[in-house]
Amino acid sequence: MKKKLPIQCPSCSNSLKVQSLHCESCDTTISGLFELPVLLQLEPNEQSFILDFVKSSGSLKVMAGKLKLSYPTVRNMLDDLIHKLNQLQNED
Amino acid sequence: MKIDFYYNLFKRIAGEKSLLIGLTVIILTSLTGYYSGTHFPGVLSVKTCPEISIWYFLIQGLLNWMVVSIVFFLAAILFSSSKVRLIDIIGTQALARSPYLLAAFTGFPDSLDQLGKYLQWTYMKIGDPITLSTYDLIMAVILIILTLLLTVWLVALMFNALKVSANLKGGRLTGVFIVSLVISIILGLVLNYLLIKNYLP
Repeated sequence: MKKKLPIQCPSCSNSLKVQSLHCESCDTTISGLFELPVLLQLEPNEQSFILDFVKSSGSLKVMAGKLKLSYPTVRNMLDDLIHKLNQLQNED
Repeated sequence: MKIDFYYNLFKRIAGEKSLLIGLTVIILTSLTGYYSGTHFPGVLSVKTCPEISIWYFLIQGLLNWMVVSIVFFLAAILFSSSKVRLIDIIGTQALARSPYLLAAFTGFPDSLDQLGKYLQWTYMKIGDPITLSTYDLIMAVILIILTLLLTVWLVALMFNALKVSANLKGGRLTGVFIVSLVISIILGLVLNYLLIKNYLP
């Protein structure tokens, strides 16, 4: 089962940070306090939109065709995502 | 799902595709209006009319669509933070006029015309004396309600067309839509008045 990366605290809804990273190969664990990268702070559907957008060579027309949505609808989704990314970057 | 499609079809259709379908709908509406004796002397107006040249109906259909498109495009440029394409505004607004294709059929039964003549004679003593049958009265009321519902549907489609093509949301979308619609209605009335003056004796 693919686990979903939690990005918000289930208790207080604040953004979560990374406290430890683990190497499965040599069993090394690194502890500290790391920020989640901005892209990982997005919802899974937003991350998949960005992946599809990059795979479509940044063409909104191709994206619209793949998603069976109109061009302005896809452009609006991208604009909303840009707005959210700007907000997340300003919070950091 | 189906209701959402008819209410917000611009999620899936916009740009060149909606312009092509929309223009076809506008031309079909004009032709139907010509044969049924129904004209659209305003952005949100359906009325019966006497026999006029077919060019009147075609010009009127295009005029109502262009007035809305130009006003909405200027409003979108002014108030949207997204890049607005003219083709999306004119395309979606053309397709949004689809409900009036159905409204153009309301003139085929003679009932609305009969009701109009009856009211003119009864209250203004214009025209010849006329008696209105129960059938015509009921039919006219049904057609008026149908026209009102189609107008509500048209306004809802125009609203969603602006929402999708200009990426406006919330209070800003509602405000921009209401003001733009009022300006379009006033401009439409003025231009239609000039058009009617040119074509009607």
